[in-house]
Amino acid sequence: MRKILSLIILASLFAVSNRVAAQDNLSPQRKQAIDSLALEKVRDLSKYISIIGDKKTPWSDAQRVIERAVELFMENSEIGVSSLSRQDVNYYKVREYFDRLMQLNYDRVTIDWYKIQYVSDLVRQPDGTYVGVITIYQRFQAYDKEKGLVYEDTTKKDITVYVKRKETQIGGRLIGFWDVMLGDIRVKETSK
Amino acid sequence: MSEIASKIKSIHWQRMMFILLMVIMVAGVESCKSTGKMSKKERKAQIENAKRQLQPIINGTSTLSYDEQKRIVGQIMDKNLNDPILNDMIIQAQQKLKTLLAEQTQAKALKIDLARAALYDLLLNKDNKSADEMEMELNAIKRQNLGDTEIDELIARVEKKIQDMRAGGGSSLPVKAQLENAFTTIANSAKTGNLSQAESTIQKTLQYFSSDDVPVLIIISREGSIVDYDKPTTIKRYLQFLKDTKSSKNDIDAIMTDNNGKIKGLDLIKR
Repeated sequence: MRKILSLIILASLFAVSNRVAAQDNLSPQRKQAIDSLALEKVRDLSKYISIIGDKKTPWSDAQRVIERAVELFMENSEIGVSSLSRQDVNYYKVREYFDRLMQLNYDRVTIDWYKIQYVSDLVRQPDGTYVGVITIYQRFQAYDKEKGLVYEDTTKKDITVYVKRKETQIGGRLIGFWDVMLGDIRVKETSK
Repeated sequence: MSEIASKIKSIHWQRMMFILLMVIMVAGVESCKSTGKMSKKERKAQIENAKRQLQPIINGTSTLSYDEQKRIVGQIMDKNLNDPILNDMIIQAQQKLKTLLAEQTQAKALKIDLARAALYDLLLNKDNKSADEMEMELNAIKRQNLGDTEIDELIARVEKKIQDMRAGGGSSLPVKAQLENAFTTIANSAKTGNLSQAESTIQKTLQYFSSDDVPVLIIISREGSIVDYDKPTTIKRYLQFLKDTKSSKNDIDAIMTDNNGKIKGLDLIKR
């Protein structure tokens, strides 16, 4: 009986330590997978921003994409907006930013993000969350029907990313997934 | 000669016939008595014989079918030999037959389950089998003669699928390949600005699934028993995601189907 008990305790300890190990001691391969996942989410956001800003996007589609884009962010996150015509950077709550983006008063808008890369690697925090910073360059071009290109700028922005391992039950299976959440998007510099 | 004839004439034929009839009846009753009444020796022999027949049934070593064993027990019961040991053996044999029937029912249910799963696999053709390979597997299932309506229905569907494959129909591709093609079509259509094509492919693809909310899991890393996933999504969202991001970067890792052959779960893996 004692032997059986010790075996059960050992097995439980092994299972628990395995789960802890799954979160704490990430192998380089797993860490790489999480790094890529977070970068991928930022790339997804860049595509959502293009769709929302595109005047040809039907309103219903834009609304759906705004929902998807908002879901990428942590609650109360803010996005900075700069302009060559002013020094200040205005910060808007994520949903407000997207609504404003959709309603920009130009005939055509193109927004491209490029050079998407880490400036600060994902680092594990005491609560188990990995936090890092990804920088992007945004090329913004606005067109008028008659005048053509009326405004353009390039903005360097930093995005804080938070990655945390969570668990959920799906169809009786315990799924360990990495939840990537974007934080504030801060404007670093704006140029022509 | 005339003397003989006169003697024959003198016989009372009616009386003779009556006597003959009586003799036959008495003889008949006597013979019945001898069959109906079993001698002690005969009864003992019959009891022994019945015990010999029951023993393999009780032991479970009988090579006879369930129906034959049931018939034997029934015949022995009908003889009403009224022997306490034999009566006990009859009860044991009946219990054994009950267990045997339950086991046979269970075994059949298992066979039906296996056949159902195999037939759904054939319908989905996940392993990209040829029409001939599929037919061979189907024939093996048909040979089992399971006598189940659902199985018969599935067999008919697989036969139709094989027929379509041979006729070069579009549904010859396995579901996995059809899904992967759909994913690529959605992404490429969106990329070239053909959003209506992307949307119509989304609607067609959703028909493979039991609902729009079927969970889609994306494996981002797999190391031994540790599997890391992206945040779970649903099939509708995933297909829209392909349209929005204009790219399809995941392969299909596993497809889970329900009893109707519809997809109830999809696992993808990052390329």
